[in-house]
Amino acid sequence: MYLYIYDTFLNHKKYFNVLSRLENRLADLEIKGKISRLNILKNMKEVIEDGVKQGVETVVAVGNDLTFSKIVNIIAEMNVTLGIIPIGKSKIAEILGIPEGEAAGDVLAQRLIKKIDLGKINHQYFIDSATIDNTDVILDFEKFQISPTCKNAVVSICNLGFLTTNQSIYRERISIPTDGLLEAVIAPIKSGLFKKIKALNKQSIFPFKKITVGSRAEPVTVTIDQQAVFKTPVEVAVAPKKLKVIVGSNRLF
Amino acid sequence: MFKNEQDKQIKKVETIIGPSVKVQGDFTGDGDVIVEGIVVGNLKTKNHLKIGAGARVQAEIEAQSAFIAGEVSGNLTVLEEVELTASAKIKGDISASLISVEKGAKINGRISMNGAKKIEGQEAKTGK
Repeated sequence: MYLYIYDTFLNHKKYFNVLSRLENRLADLEIKGKISRLNILKNMKEVIEDGVKQGVETVVAVGNDLTFSKIVNIIAEMNVTLGIIPIGKSKIAEILGIPEGEAAGDVLAQRLIKKIDLGKINHQYFIDSATIDNTDVILDFEKFQISPTCKNAVVSICNLGFLTTNQSIYRERISIPTDGLLEAVIAPIKSGLFKKIKALNKQSIFPFKKITVGSRAEPVTVTIDQQAVFKTPVEVAVAPKKLKVIVGSNRLF
Repeated sequence: MFKNEQDKQIKKVETIIGPSVKVQGDFTGDGDVIVEGIVVGNLKTKNHLKIGAGARVQAEIEAQSAFIAGEVSGNLTVLEEVELTASAKIKGDISASLISVEKGAKINGRISMNGAKKIEGQEAKTGK
């Protein structure tokens, strides 16, 4: 049994046609289920918990990266499979091999399920990454410590990996969300014209299972999946094979 | 001649210590390790180690094989082959089964080629 959760931004009338086409396609594929449209009064957690009580086995999040990140935290401890339908551009969907809009329905119908790792910061899960925009950070790997030596750098703790121009990190199997490891990535950046930020190629990559993120002076902020914010020190660990998710054959890992 | 050979050797990169990073402590890796930044302490890997031209390493090093183009202060224990390029500067003893030294490399230390001791937790593959 499928439960489709539409994120709040999809209530806008400009998405009406896209969602109609999607619903028709799901009906054709015979994977139609209960649809729940989120709004200010309708909480995602309550909707999913009610659905699971009624026997839902697959929860499908329809929305963007923020939607998928929010839902992961709720279903990580539940015995359900996650499906995603991206509306618009989505990094998570690209890595998992799910196309945009109604085409995602075909991938859902194939039900190619993978168990992927999740990251965990202070009991909160994340599917994509945690980022720190401060070079005062110290990553403590127990036996050794790492700190950036440049003034401008983005420190990321990645689970799904990070997109590069040629995706060599996936071809060389550097960052794989099924390997039981997270990757700490330190990427020096420089500001370009019109305050555009360019990431330089000289990234540092450290695979790990558990680290402590601290700072040299004032506590720094750690943002997970662009939604929750923590202050250092925090412990970051991998939760291996924590999430059952439907993936496409075009996935990057 | 060295560039092509080092590319062949790096099969699976796991850790990249970039030029904008400093590592302090006992670093241990299972896969191939590339160092372009600063390492202070110990550096150990069960696979290939590449130390780039801009890297500065003050550490005791243990690796299966190594390609060195940067500065190293500390003893170097390599199970198989170690390659030193013209830009390499080594201040410490080298122990390896096979050594290639390019013209211009600076070595201040003893070189022993009796076959390095096996790296902790790993069987020697060379048998030399």
